[in-house]
Order: sequence, then structure tokens, then C-alpha cells
Amino acid sequence: MDDRPAKGRNGSGATTAAVLWALAAAFAVLAAAFGLGPAGQPRPRDPIPLVDPSFLSTATNRRSYADLVRAKEDLSDFDCYACHEKGRPPVLRFDERENLIVPREHADIVMGHGEHGRNNNCFNCHNENNLELLQTRDGRALRFQDSPQLCGSCHGPTYEDWEAGAHGRISGCWDRPLGPITRQQCVNCHDPHAPSFRGRKPAPGPHPLRRPLDPPGRPNAS
Amino acid sequence: MSAPDFPPSPGDLIPAGDLSRRSFLRTSAVLTAGLAALASSLRPLLDMDDLPSAQRFMQKYYKELTPDEMARVLKRIEDEVAKEYGVRPHVRDLRPMDGVEFVYALNLTRCIGCRKCVHACVQENNQSRNPEIQYIRVLRMPHGSLDIEKAQDHYDPAMVPEKGYFYMPVQCQQCRNPPCVKVCPVHATWQEADGITVIDYDWCIGCRYCEAACPYWARRFNFAKPSIPRERLNPDMAYLGNRPRRLGVMEKCHFCIQRTRAGRYPACLEVCPAGARKFGNVLDPNSEVAYILRNKRVFIQLKEELGTSPRFFYYFDV
Amino acid sequence: MIRAIRNYLVFLRRCLGIAFVGDWRYYAWMGLLTTACLFGLHAYARQLAHGLIVTGMSDEVSWGVYIANFTFLVGVAAAAVMMVIPVYIYDNEELHDLVIFGELLAVAAILMCLAFVTVDLGRPDRFWHLIPGLGQLNFPASMLSWDVIVLNGYLLLNLHICGYLLYCRYQGRKPAKWFYIPFVFVAIGWAVSIHTVTAFLYVGLGGRPFWNSSIVGPRFLASAFTAGPALIILALQIIRRITEYRITDKALLTLRSIVQVSMLINVFLLLNEVFKEFYSGNLHVASSRYLFLGLEGHHALVPWIWTAIVFNLVAMFLLVLPLSRSLRWLNVTCVLCIVGIWIEKGMGLVVPGFIPTPLGQIVEYRPSLNETLVCIGIWAFGLLCYTVFLRMSVPILQGRLARANEG
Repeated sequence: MDDRPAKGRNGSGATTAAVLWALAAAFAVLAAAFGLGPAGQPRPRDPIPLVDPSFLSTATNRRSYADLVRAKEDLSDFDCYACHEKGRPPVLRFDERENLIVPREHADIVMGHGEHGRNNNCFNCHNENNLELLQTRDGRALRFQDSPQLCGSCHGPTYEDWEAGAHGRISGCWDRPLGPITRQQCVNCHDPHAPSFRGRKPAPGPHPLRRPLDPPGRPNAS
Repeated sequence: MSAPDFPPSPGDLIPAGDLSRRSFLRTSAVLTAGLAALASSLRPLLDMDDLPSAQRFMQKYYKELTPDEMARVLKRIEDEVAKEYGVRPHVRDLRPMDGVEFVYALNLTRCIGCRKCVHACVQENNQSRNPEIQYIRVLRMPHGSLDIEKAQDHYDPAMVPEKGYFYMPVQCQQCRNPPCVKVCPVHATWQEADGITVIDYDWCIGCRYCEAACPYWARRFNFAKPSIPRERLNPDMAYLGNRPRRLGVMEKCHFCIQRTRAGRYPACLEVCPAGARKFGNVLDPNSEVAYILRNKRVFIQLKEELGTSPRFFYYFDV
Repeated sequence: MIRAIRNYLVFLRRCLGIAFVGDWRYYAWMGLLTTACLFGLHAYARQLAHGLIVTGMSDEVSWGVYIANFTFLVGVAAAAVMMVIPVYIYDNEELHDLVIFGELLAVAAILMCLAFVTVDLGRPDRFWHLIPGLGQLNFPASMLSWDVIVLNGYLLLNLHICGYLLYCRYQGRKPAKWFYIPFVFVAIGWAVSIHTVTAFLYVGLGGRPFWNSSIVGPRFLASAFTAGPALIILALQIIRRITEYRITDKALLTLRSIVQVSMLINVFLLLNEVFKEFYSGNLHVASSRYLFLGLEGHHALVPWIWTAIVFNLVAMFLLVLPLSRSLRWLNVTCVLCIVGIWIEKGMGLVVPGFIPTPLGQIVEYRPSLNETLVCIGIWAFGLLCYTVFLRMSVPILQGRLARANEG
């Protein structure tokens, strides 16, 4: 073993001893600090609330009359002839700007089908001779559960897409032989009186792992 | 290096020394203290709760597992999940179906940016809630531009859709020419016959090269131990799909492999209120995706100039 | 045969023994480095236990200082062998023995590189998946697989060359030319390849326009051949001061000319890059804009990159002027080169590639304390290794540790 310092710097025996004892002390302190010091758990993360389960629901926007019939629910609200007379078509009234005046008995209906008040004649779709049915544009009676044809008679391209599955909602199996599918109808998403697809509150946005480095001059959220 | 002048002059030679008792004591003190410091510096390892068992450590690569070995691995995963979450899952190894190539089409006219798909995916695929992992990121884009620099993902208005914007959800595009597969140093990610790019979570070494390579920011890494609330665990699992991942491995959208290889639609599609998402087998001419690709005029394959050839098509209605 | 093994083991034992012996400055230095290593080890243990969340990385910026340091050190390892070229190709006598110091620096740098890559892994227990035959190494498609092979090969190459030459000197034997000269020439080519492969790690990613540019490879090499020899210039002066090893100023000035040319090329390439990014005004400049000017209120890297540019420019001017022929100015210049290039290659290359994300979002990065301690620990480990290598090799080269004086 070579104890001799390379450059012949002697008289360092005492310094060497001091340095070595200092090192031993330093290591001992380190050993204690690591062993007995704080546990070193990472800083606890900001809590992120679990998403509201309503955002996970696959329910459609609306339940159509046909759904209610299928589910055998109480249809007393839909009994047209409880108020109307059979054989007497209801009279429509319009104001001076040719907007339909919705009777107060049907105040829950908000008209909005088409811009500039187009398509505001109830009997464009409803069958005045039999209020429990709809009618096509050429006057044929149509059941409520066949309503997509009626929508499609004006909205042709969308109807074609819907038939092929490219428009609207289908749930179940893409592999048709393997299982059933549920294809939603137009009225499951669109209110026929005001069909424009409703907006809604969005689900919460992402929570990035790291906080911004400095208070942002321009916040990330819109 | 030149040949040395040799033999070296004797005067220069280093004699072998001998140790005195004091220097021995000194040396031992330093060495002992040093070793003690070394040992106690490793104390945080006691907090480690994810030490792999010998079985898991030596587990073979997915493609090399025999059916017997796979059955044992699946059982082991079920045991581990049952122990951790108190719910016994059903883990399957689903194989690709013949004659199937999956394609996803997303209607940008219809997406309203509600983010339900993001959360349905999180729920279906057992993603960590904190730190938050979400495979799908919905981008709000201004009308008229596909400039990704203008995208905003932190929008939070009272109602969506907002006027003047359209919404574009982005997830793994299951590219035909995937850059992530090319760069993975251990083949932990590869593309299967039905087009899904999968990850063997037990093979990934966590180098995150794939995350750097992905042009769509589709891949996620488990920086911490994933936390899934027990009551929201989805027990219907697949080996290459939604079984809970571990600390230090990558994950990403796999087209809900546990559903789609059983013939069902992925969770993001099922929950979309606007029916903006379309999925199916493009090789089947009667599928809705084949119809869309045939009939819609304008498609966007994001960043198509990069040559990734994604299987994700954004389209507009007529 | 047995005697040969026994002799070799005695040699190793003596080398190891001498590493634990020195004067008080040696003990203080080694003690300091060991302490830093222990802090680094403690920090790494925390990371193993809790995951990479203890770093500052995120899904948005998924590589940070670990890979930044790795990139810088691969350059140092490549350049350390640069001295070999003047010696073996141009037959420069002054540098003959110093080549060993350069190669030992390469070994230490490669060990640091391997350490940095290992600490960056999310599952280091699965490192065996990288071993061809045992695991599934994705060669030749993945550039990382190339990196694994060339880095380990380079380590073995340099260990062989240094080990063989030192052992021959120890034995007082003339080394057989065929057993090291071919390896030396392979090492020259291999040095260029390790850094090119590392550059290709970045260049090959089409989704990251900041990196997907043909200038990255040449810039890597130019900056490596600036910082590497600069480090060696400083290291040689320290060796000269601490031991009595004869190192002439002429050797240092030869290295200076390598640094000079490389820095000029480096700055020229920087100008090329800046022009290309900003002149045409296309939309792919977001990362460059973030780096040099800040983007949408985020400007964490701007002071760093401008510091680096100023350092590099000042160093370039100093190198061109005869002023830097004086050792004091040369040392200042070397420090400027090393720091400037460390910033430029580390924070100036790795981090901006991730900002903004491919989806246009900006999430910034700052290394955490834990991450910094691990980096310091690995640098200390590398310096520790290099010091030990020098502690062993200088006495051997001076003939003071030789077979002739085995007790």
C-alpha cells in the first residue's frame, strides 16, 4: 500500500487523521439523518373529485312517446281525445307576424322547428283527423313509432345516414350476429317541436399532474 | 501509447507499507460509518409496496406464453386484483377476430365537447383517478382552423357547444404505421391483426420513448401507483386491455379491447349523447364505418403528413 | 495459466488498495463525492419506492434532466476519444500517454450515461428485457436498442484498451500492437457512432418537429467535440497539479485547437437552426419560439438558453483570439464552453421538444429536488470513478506501481 503522498507533501499525517475522523463523523450523522429523519413521503397530491355518475349515463336525451308505450307507462297525459273531439280537427291560431300561438293547454311545447318560423303548422306532422297518429307529407297516416320516415321526408341526407348507422346513436354490438343492437330514433335525441340539439354542461376538464411554474399571466381555462 | 522506458528506476518504486493500529482504527471507523450511511440511505425502499414476486419478475413476453402459462398468469392477475380491491375480476385473453380491421370515425359536425366519452373511458378501463389518467383528450378548436396550436383543452363554460368553436376528441389513433411500435426497445407494444396497437403491461420497462414518439400525445405513463376507487372498479377485464396497471408502465386507448373483441361497441361510443362516434369493422361493407368512408367527402386524418396512416377518421356531414 | 490469473488478481488488488490511500486532500475530495453519492442514492431509493412522481416530469414533458444529462455525457464520452485521432493518425507524441486519461474519462462518462438511463426507467427491475436472447431487444427498428448495444460496446472497448495498456505498463512489458491498435481505430469510429445513434433517438421522431431535423446529428457532434476536449483540458491541468505527471502545455494547446474548430462549427450550426426555424414563418416553430422567446406567457427556459448562447459566443471569441493561449483564459473559456453546451444540449434540446405537446398544450417542467439530488449523486459517482481510475493509472504510468515492486 502506498502511504506516501505523491508530491512528497509531508507533515500531513495529522491533517489526514483529522480529515478521516471528520469523514467518519459526517457519515455517522448521515446514517442517523437518513435512518431517523422524516419518512420522505412525496408531497400529497391535490384531491381530484370523482366524476358525477350522471356523466357516465348512456341514457338518451329524451324518451319518445314510443318508448313510453313500450315501457307501458302511464299515458294519461297523452290521451288527446280526453279534451279534443273526435272528428273535429283543432283550429290553429296565428298572430299578426304569422307565428303559431301555442294554446295554454300545450304550454310545455316550445316551437322552434326551422328558422324564421318555418314549419310552425302543427299539422305538418300531426294528423288532424286522428290526433293519435302522425301524417306523412302526402297525407298518409303514420304511427308515432314510425316517425323517422316523416323526419326523413325533409331531412333526406341525414335520414340516409341514419339508416346506414352513420347518424344518431346505436348501442350494442358492432358485430351484428353476436348480439342485439339498439338504434335510437330521431325523437330520442331531438325534440320534434324544437329539434336543435341542446347544449349541456360539460364534464370536468383534465387535471394535469404538474402545477404551472408561475402564476399564469393568461389562465389555461377559457 | 508508447512503450514505457523500462525497467522503471528502482528509486521510484513504491514500497509496500504496513498499517499502524491507530490508522486501522481510523480506517475502520470511516468504513463502518460509511457502510451505515449507505444502508440507511436505502431506507425509503421500505416504503416500496410493489415488489414483484419471482413469478412476475420472470414472466415471459406475451407472445411467448403458452396457453397454460397464460391461464396461470390470468389467474394470478385475478388473485392480485381480488386482494387489492376486494372484487374478484374476470380476466380474459381475447384474441383478434378473423377478417376484422377496426376503424373509428368521428363526426366533427356532431361532437359537442361534453367530455362524457373521456369519463366513460376512465370508468370502463380502470384508469387511475389520482394522478389522473385519461386516454381521451377533447380539444376545442376555433371555427375554420385545424391548427393544433390553437387547440384548448381546459375549456369550462356553462354550456357546450360554444359558438365559434368545434370540438375534436383525440385518443390513440391505432396507426397503420405506428411510430410507438417502431421505437419501443423491448417490443412491449405492437400492433395486432385487427389493427389495435396493444401494450403488454408486464413487459414494458417504462422508458417512455413511445410517449415521446407519439404524434398524438396518446400514451400515458403511471408516474405513481394508480389509484382506482374500489367501488368503481370494472371487473370485466382483458390481459391486453383494462386490467389495472402498475407503477412505472405505459398505457393507452386500446379500443376497449375487452368489449370490441367480444363484438361490442367501445365505451366512449356508447356514452356519446350526440352519436358522434362510429366504430366497426371496415372490412365489412355493411358496417357504418365502411358506409362513412365510402360516402363522406372530407376526412381528416390528423397529422397525416407524418405518414402514420391513422385508423381514426374525422369527418363532417356532407 | 494459473500464474497469469494470480498475477492479474494481485494487480487488481493493488489497484483497488491504492484507491483507498492518499493524502488528506484525496480523502476530503473522495469523502465529499461519497456524501453526494449517498444523497443521490437516498433520493433514488425514494424514487424507486414512490415512482417517477417524485421527479418533475409529467405526461406532457416525459423526459427531463436525467435524459438531458445522459445526452450531454454521451457527447463527452464520444469526444474523450478525440484525442486518439491526433495520436494515432497524426502521430502526435505530446498526447501519447494522455490518451489513456481521455479513455478513462470516456469510461467514467459511459458509466454515468448508463446510470442516468437506468434511473429514468419506470421499471428498472425489468432491465433484463433489453438483453438480446434473454429479452426482446427491438433491434434494428428501435434506436434505443442501438444505443444499448453501442454504449455497452463502447464501454467494453475502452475498458479493454485502457486495461490492457495499463496492465502491460504495470508488468513492464511492451504491449502487443495487434491487441490494442485495431481496437483503438474501432473506438474512433465507434465514438462517432455512439453520439450519432443518440442523436438519431431524437431525429427519428416525426411527431416532434423540433427534433425531426437533419441538423441535430451534426450539432450533437460539434457540441460534443467542444465540451469533451474542454473537460479534458481542465482534467489534465488538475492531474498535472496534483500528481507530478508530465503534461506539456503543447498538449493542452492541441486540444484547444480541437475545441476552437468545434465551437466555430457549433455556433454556425446554431445560426442555421435559428434561421430555418424563424425565417419561413411556418407553424412548426412553436417549440423554438417557446425556447428562445417564450410562448403564451410561459418562458421558463428563455433565460437559460440566452445564457448558454452568450457563454458559447464569448467562448468562441476567446478561442479565436490568441488570448486563450494563456492558461488562465483558456480555463475560463473551457468552463464557458462546458456550461454553455450543457445547458444547450440538456435543457435547450430535451425539454423544448415536449413544449408544446403534440396537441398544442403547454405544461412546463422544473426538476424536483429529488431529481436534482439523483443527478448530483450520479455526477459525483462519475467523478468518483474517474478519480479512482486516475489514482490507479498515474502511479502505473509513472512506474511507481509495478510488478517489480510487488511486496
